Amino acid sequence: MGIAAAATMLFGVTACSTGTGTSGEEAAPAESITIDYLHRLPDGEGMTKVADIIAEWNTAHPGVQVTATKFDGKAAEMLTKLKADVKAGSVSCLAQLGYAEVPTMYTEGMLENVTDVAKDYVGNFSAGAVALMTVNGETVGLPQDTGPLVYYYNAAEFERLGLTVPTTADELAAATTAAAAAGKYAVAFQPDEAQYWLSGQTAAAGAAWFQAKDGKWSVDVSDAGTAKVASFWQGLIDSKSTLVANRWGDEFKQALVDQTLIGTIGAAWEAPLLAGDMAGSANEGQWAVVELPTFGATQMTGPDGGSGVAVMKGCAHPAEAMEFNNWFNTQIDPLVSQGLVVAAKGAMTTPDAIKSFYGGQDVFSVLAAANESLSPDFIYIPGFPAINGDMVKAADAAGQGTAPVSDIFAAAEKSAIAALESAGLPVAK
Amino acid sequence: MSTLTRPVAPERLASEQRAEANRRRRWREGRIGWGFFAPFAILFALTFVVPILVSIRSSFFTEKAAGDSLYGGGGLVETFAFLDNYAQVLGNAIFWEGMGRVLLFGAVQIPVMLGGALILALLLDSFIVRRVAFFRLAYFLPYAIPGVIAALVWTYIFSPGFSPINQALVALSDALAALLGSPVDLTIDFFAPGTIIASMATMTTWTFMGYNMLIFLAALQAIPHDLYEAARLDGASEFAIVRRIKVPMVGQATLLAVLLSIIGTVQLFNEPTVLAAVNPWMGNDYTPMMLAYSSMMGTTSPSGAGPASAVSISMALIAGILAAIFALVQKRSTR
Repeated sequence: MGIAAAATMLFGVTACSTGTGTSGEEAAPAESITIDYLHRLPDGEGMTKVADIIAEWNTAHPGVQVTATKFDGKAAEMLTKLKADVKAGSVSCLAQLGYAEVPTMYTEGMLENVTDVAKDYVGNFSAGAVALMTVNGETVGLPQDTGPLVYYYNAAEFERLGLTVPTTADELAAATTAAAAAGKYAVAFQPDEAQYWLSGQTAAAGAAWFQAKDGKWSVDVSDAGTAKVASFWQGLIDSKSTLVANRWGDEFKQALVDQTLIGTIGAAWEAPLLAGDMAGSANEGQWAVVELPTFGATQMTGPDGGSGVAVMKGCAHPAEAMEFNNWFNTQIDPLVSQGLVVAAKGAMTTPDAIKSFYGGQDVFSVLAAANESLSPDFIYIPGFPAINGDMVKAADAAGQGTAPVSDIFAAAEKSAIAALESAGLPVAK
Repeated sequence: MSTLTRPVAPERLASEQRAEANRRRRWREGRIGWGFFAPFAILFALTFVVPILVSIRSSFFTEKAAGDSLYGGGGLVETFAFLDNYAQVLGNAIFWEGMGRVLLFGAVQIPVMLGGALILALLLDSFIVRRVAFFRLAYFLPYAIPGVIAALVWTYIFSPGFSPINQALVALSDALAALLGSPVDLTIDFFAPGTIIASMATMTTWTFMGYNMLIFLAALQAIPHDLYEAARLDGASEFAIVRRIKVPMVGQATLLAVLLSIIGTVQLFNEPTVLAAVNPWMGNDYTPMMLAYSSMMGTTSPSGAGPASAVSISMALIAGILAAIFALVQKRSTR
């Protein structure tokens, strides 16, 4: 109860409500309902616009009209808005949530249990992604896109330097060291992305930080996989073989453009972003993507982002909302045009612009393969977003060489326990 | 028409009627006054009073997961925590580190900024400067630029790879090196932990100096000019007029400017937030205001409206105490 509630009472703002189709004079035939959908898709230049996709649905479904709203702020701000809206009873029926945010929202009672309705649709999506939209045995929505980690590299530069494309972490370290001898970097350590980027790498190495033990959360980062990731980066930072640059800083982009950075571990959704960063430079047509070099025994990768569309608590028409949810999230080509690696089953066609940047490679087939090899063991705890600050701070210190890389994971563990305790959830000591 | 009726009655009646009419008019006028006041009062209550009350209330509550299963019970229960949130804030080293930073920041930045603002105001007020309107607007302009945009521009100016200042310093270093025959490096790392507070101070000084200058200028222009004339007749120099008349007479304005600056400093948010985006070591709790925001957004623990409100209200209290101390000291010293 707060300002949003007061505003609702004053102005009678209601979303997700039933309204008789009285708009205009073309007397709408029957009862028509409205579903609101809050998303943060990029909706950029050259993409199939969300509005256009939804217009198609609205034409075909006069009884279930969908209005989509783009949220332009940060992810954390959208969660705060959704929470206020749920309390005020004015929340959108459907909202895009990052997979790591789903448990938090579930614990706070912000999500609708739509397990029964979802049964008919879950078969259309990759099982691992469906699992991320399922908390405590309850399905709360449908997955939209995934963010498996992959390895992007400048194939032309690799050839020029005589480097082989790495398939294991050790080979990647060797290639990076060799590249450094030639004044190039084959990876970048990215402090600002530490939370998802590094936890994804440990997942690829087989780590599962959060596990249920006797009805309590057990938080443990002292496994072999996490140690492997820590020593990998420690070695490269100590020998100054890796570029240390924030993913969203100017330095990173500049290093890409002037070809000092010729390789990077990144999420699948970075494929179009990297192409955009280097648009118009000598890099065009030179890059390529492969599955993440293995950090563990088998070909496995970890999640770095990705999101689903959840049904929010208080949605008046969950069944219709889920019907639309299924339809929207299986619009593979339009969603791929938005830069997403979709969670829906089916072939993704690499858009021409991306194909030409990556030297004609069928990029999305590699990304889809990475999707298949996502670690099934790494799950998120309620409150995972709260560990970001501490991890990033520790990652920056590690990047500067003033603290060991292992401190990042120690910070994650400490911070995760604090987050669980702050939420009032049971933690095993 | 009897002469027996007391003659005072009609008069009293008339005066009573007049009083009644007066009352009625006052009431009617009062009603009109309230009518004009109402839009402000309603908006003020909605956007100012209600949020403060909601925030005070929520600072005494915490939200915990309902049920004690792994994911709680699919909801939160609000429990009365009394002073728990405050105890957590006041026992939180990060809060005090942040408060220490902003106070250190304020102790240096406020005198520099207000000193500069006073000098600018004195210059504009003196007859040395023509085109006062132009300069007044020019100095005030930085304040009109949204804080976040100003912070972004300054981030660019300070950023290690792009800084135009450093590019100039590199050229200067090279010239000096050629002259001295030994390597010279005059470049500044504006984002180093030791210098970032100075960089932020530069940003806020740039933004707010013109704003404070206006406060001083308004106070200077309210000083009756016959005082200057009298002083000049007594043989006072322009500098003496500034020192003996102008500066003492803007005392009240100084008090206002310092109070506003103290409050603004405690709430320091835009500049560090934008800088933290490119300097992750700052974290999302570098200043108390950032801590409050991160708590509310759930990106730091403890998170939620309760802890966030407790941080905000603690900040307000500290700012209030500092402002009160300053006002008292100022009164003492001018007495």
